[in-house]
Amino acid sequence: MPMTLASREDVDVWDRSEMEPRIRHILERTVRLRDTGPYRPKSDAEVMAMLTGFFAAKGLEEIAISDVERMSGGASKEQFAFTLNHREDPQGERLVLRMDPLEAIAQTCRGREGEIQAIMGNHMPVAPVRWFDADGDLLGQPAVILGFVRGVTQPSEGGSGGVSGMGGRLGSLIDRLAPQYIDALATTHRFDWSRARLRFFDAPRGGGNQAAIWQVNWWSQVWWDCLVEPVPVVALAERWLRENAPVCDRPMLVHGDLRMGNFMFEEPSGKFTAVLDWELAHIGDFHEDIAWTMQKLFGAWGDDGVFLVSGLLPRDDFVTQYEAASGNRIDPVRLHYYEVLNAYKCAVMDLGQAMRASIASNNHQEVVLTWLGSAGAVFLSHIVQLIRKG
Amino acid sequence: MLPNIDLRIANMIKALEQVVLPALPRDQRLARDQAMLVAGHLRMMGEQWKSALRYEQVALDDLQGLARQLLPAASALLADDLKAALAMAQACDRASVTAIERANIDLGHAVDAVILGGTDHAPLPPASIDALLDYALRHARRERSWFKANRLDPDQNDLPDLETMLADAD
Repeated sequence: MPMTLASREDVDVWDRSEMEPRIRHILERTVRLRDTGPYRPKSDAEVMAMLTGFFAAKGLEEIAISDVERMSGGASKEQFAFTLNHREDPQGERLVLRMDPLEAIAQTCRGREGEIQAIMGNHMPVAPVRWFDADGDLLGQPAVILGFVRGVTQPSEGGSGGVSGMGGRLGSLIDRLAPQYIDALATTHRFDWSRARLRFFDAPRGGGNQAAIWQVNWWSQVWWDCLVEPVPVVALAERWLRENAPVCDRPMLVHGDLRMGNFMFEEPSGKFTAVLDWELAHIGDFHEDIAWTMQKLFGAWGDDGVFLVSGLLPRDDFVTQYEAASGNRIDPVRLHYYEVLNAYKCAVMDLGQAMRASIASNNHQEVVLTWLGSAGAVFLSHIVQLIRKG
Repeated sequence: MLPNIDLRIANMIKALEQVVLPALPRDQRLARDQAMLVAGHLRMMGEQWKSALRYEQVALDDLQGLARQLLPAASALLADDLKAALAMAQACDRASVTAIERANIDLGHAVDAVILGGTDHAPLPPASIDALLDYALRHARRERSWFKANRLDPDQNDLPDLETMLADAD
């Protein structure tokens, strides 16, 4: 396997301590709390009690929680819509509680999600962040509370949805959705994170391989912490990712999961109402987002048989339009590296974290996790094809 | 065995689809989604269960083949562990799914150690990488075929059915 040329900013590719501090905290907390399960899905009454206590601690008075409604969608967080009334807002506001079960398919930080989503609300449509409890100090488990946003992630008519937004079709709205999707990606990558005073994020050094190695260490630690059954190509991919870690010239904000199913729009206009799911956001190499959204599993085939990135654009059109909107040039070598990394991440989530959470009974929808796990081998095939492509 | 497993699975699917799901309010989407997925899992398990032992045997045999290919280039310490795991795999009770799963896991750990090259991360020779990638493609295709009925695989039309996949392995 080829070795990347070392630069002054490079880190030791096998140094597993090279990890963003907040990510390390989340992964260590996961292992520490794993044996406190099993997790039971929360009842409406439990959610009302948790929220009432939380808002009281925040200083609200005459609190009334009503119309609690469990939400579906996503494979990660336990979500409830509810209405909050209190003395300062007797009219009430419809809100969404996004709460960590004990373990999910991706162990992430509600503080990071709340912080970056609140900031990015100044740049694109997102659900407004009202509160977050990064470590569950007040709610009992980490959570973010968002303003309720209306919209759909699949067309009501003519679209077809799969689990977690996979395998759907966006039908006649494609021409209206595609430019907004490109703009959301480009706006994310153009965002000047260095002036944002982020509390929950650290940035890797530019001009070296640290951005890549932070990601490899994040996901390889998840794999080894969760290991249920060894999968040789997952270990081989980890080795390949370390030995081929590329330089990241200029770290940028990476959304981490911007693809079909994670943008919400209104009908019939097709206007974006929210870019969703910022939980995997980090500072890193923008190629990671590009490679993520290009995955077959997150795309669809048009009526003419052409594969559409995220169900919206043929690959070449996607690249051209993204480069024009962002000013970034996509480097095929780095794109290839992040295609391997993303296939590896997906395999780790499906065959590692999802399986461990299911075995420990630490989630509110294990039946979804094992369903997604049954698709994990798709990513193993991708890893082989990508490594062979070299 | 009466009622047999096929009959009970079919009964459960019918109860979910024709009684439980229609009784669930349409706004209870999480409950409805999970009920549908349970029916999906049951349908898939109905197709799989008679082949589960054979599947695990094929998987273990393939992993043993990979382990033997990795042995010549492994360092002495890692090779000793790999030989020991191989011996245990060869001696395991091939009539027991549980025993084969255990052997697969133990042998998998020894294979992983060789892939990562021990504490000094010794280089993997090209022949070992080729053997690993060949095995990985067979493994992934086997698993994708096994779970083809989930319809999540973008290339599901290229996959064989279970009987063909297992017959090809013989």
